[in-house]
Amino acid sequence: MRSGAGLAAIAAVGAPSILHAQTKTLKITTWGGKWGDVMKATVLPAFEKEFKCTVSADQAFPFVPKLQASSKTDPIYDVLHTNSNEQWNSLSEGLVMAKITAKEVPNVADVYPYAVSDKIVGVTIFTSAIGLGYRTDKGLAKPTSWKDLADPKLAGARGGYIIPVNSLGQCHLMMLGKVYGKGLTDLDAAYKALEALKPIKLVDFTGQMEKMLLSAEVSMGVIHDSGVYRYDGPNMQPVDFASPSEGVLALEQVLNVTPGSKVKDLAFGYIDYMLRPDVQKLLAEAVWYSPANTKVKLDAKYDAKLLTTPAKVATLIQPDWKWYNARKEDIDARVTKILKG
Amino acid sequence: MSAPMSAPMSVVANKRPFDVGHAAYLALNALLLTFLLAPIAIVLVFALNPTPYISFPPVGVSLRWFEKFFAGTEFMNALWLSLWVASVVLVLSILIGGACALALARGNLPGRAFLTAFFMSPLMLPAILTGLALFQAYLLSGIGRPVWGLILAHTLVAVPYVIRTTLAVLHNFDRRIEEAAAVLGASPARVFFEVTLPLIRPGVFAGGVFAFIVSFDQFPVSLFLVVPKGETLPVVLFNYMKFDLDGAIAAASMVSILLALSVVLVLERLIGLKAYVKL
Repeated sequence: MRSGAGLAAIAAVGAPSILHAQTKTLKITTWGGKWGDVMKATVLPAFEKEFKCTVSADQAFPFVPKLQASSKTDPIYDVLHTNSNEQWNSLSEGLVMAKITAKEVPNVADVYPYAVSDKIVGVTIFTSAIGLGYRTDKGLAKPTSWKDLADPKLAGARGGYIIPVNSLGQCHLMMLGKVYGKGLTDLDAAYKALEALKPIKLVDFTGQMEKMLLSAEVSMGVIHDSGVYRYDGPNMQPVDFASPSEGVLALEQVLNVTPGSKVKDLAFGYIDYMLRPDVQKLLAEAVWYSPANTKVKLDAKYDAKLLTTPAKVATLIQPDWKWYNARKEDIDARVTKILKG
Repeated sequence: MSAPMSAPMSVVANKRPFDVGHAAYLALNALLLTFLLAPIAIVLVFALNPTPYISFPPVGVSLRWFEKFFAGTEFMNALWLSLWVASVVLVLSILIGGACALALARGNLPGRAFLTAFFMSPLMLPAILTGLALFQAYLLSGIGRPVWGLILAHTLVAVPYVIRTTLAVLHNFDRRIEEAAAVLGASPARVFFEVTLPLIRPGVFAGGVFAFIVSFDQFPVSLFLVVPKGETLPVVLFNYMKFDLDGAIAAASMVSILLALSVVLVLERLIGLKAYVKL
């Protein structure tokens, strides 16, 4: 990991023409784990130094309910970092801005189109690819299709998610509609395909799926590439990630600004900072996320596996979360009935 | 009775016939104890297993997860905050809960049944709602989320335990002892401190132990009320689990269990909680 001082120097050279605030506090949400470690050790201190502010970074879920419960004119957060589906929920309640443009955040001009597509509220700073993780020591061929998860040999050894509470599970459900039916919105086909995946081990969190694969509790499961690649190293376990031919789903890391923020310029400055190539490279290589900025040059090891070219990015499928969220209650009831027990 | 006769009779007396009911009773107790203790044993196994994921059977014995837990600044800060908050909550709950119980039992208050239900109501509400409601109230009143707000919230859900255990003691309290002290010339204050308080102490402190444990393990109420860099241990563990589900969680659980157990044992040694258990 690079030093905080080095990053601060880079940040100082590449400072955008955004108004720097004086001794203000920026309230943000951010992830824990390795991401949180890098943020707290390097990224945020460098930002505070450059922008002469303090950052109050909340890692304690749930972010959106806390934002909902706070005043819209004095929100508890200035910048909301969530996955895409939660941003759509927040937009429908007027808690976040619809779009972040290059006018407010100059580095938005350099992002891949998916980062600001009509499927995104706010702006995507990183993405993961949701595909299939599998054990390489179980005599399994590398999966090439989402249908491989339904292989009868994997009965009881395949892994999925508790769909109502996990966006990877929700993505998988939509992908089942595409693979077995007419498209991502073909729920009848998706339900039928989900039924055929039983018996399946279900978890709440992505981290649990990672551990189930590592411990060989499951031989194949739905997971994002970062959840497999991050265990790269001398103690690498016999697990690998496969991108099915039908495409991989995007698990976007999205930043957005709350309309009632008292430090909007600082909030935009933070998003711009997070989109800088050097900050993107640092975080991408720490947690194996694909950077949204097209100008990021990753080291060869990461470049080979992450979505860093227009051709690789073209394999990403972005779910329509607005459509999904509008039906979520019905979907939750149906999948709970299917996967009960 | 002569000596030659007594020996065979004693053997007969000691050799009780097999009692199916007694055996079933013992088996049920063993089953219940296993049910209660097995999860702790499993957590201990996971905490000592060196693999970076939870697996069974374990592949060895290692203290690496305990080392990781104790070396983690975030874990340690959270642990000390939880201990500090729980200690303050213990004191506040004893003072408030004990006073409430005395007022309810002795005060001849109008609407006593309603007041009892009112004080017990935090136990009936889902704690997550209590947390959310307080979070909203704190923010709307402009006080933010200070540590004392977290302490008050924990006290709110802990006080009913002290009230309940103290009321149980007061229910069995022989008031003639107080009357005797008063007749012998003791002032009301002296009667309270030298007669009433020592007698209700086991109930109050047993409630205090519950209050400490409820606060130390409190998750749903804390979820909304903690601030960045001021998170309690259960909240830190929950967030850690979302990203890094390794043995550090099990090690932290063992530490929590041992701390709670230590508090119970210390209080038992200091004030003798067995007296309350006998009630």
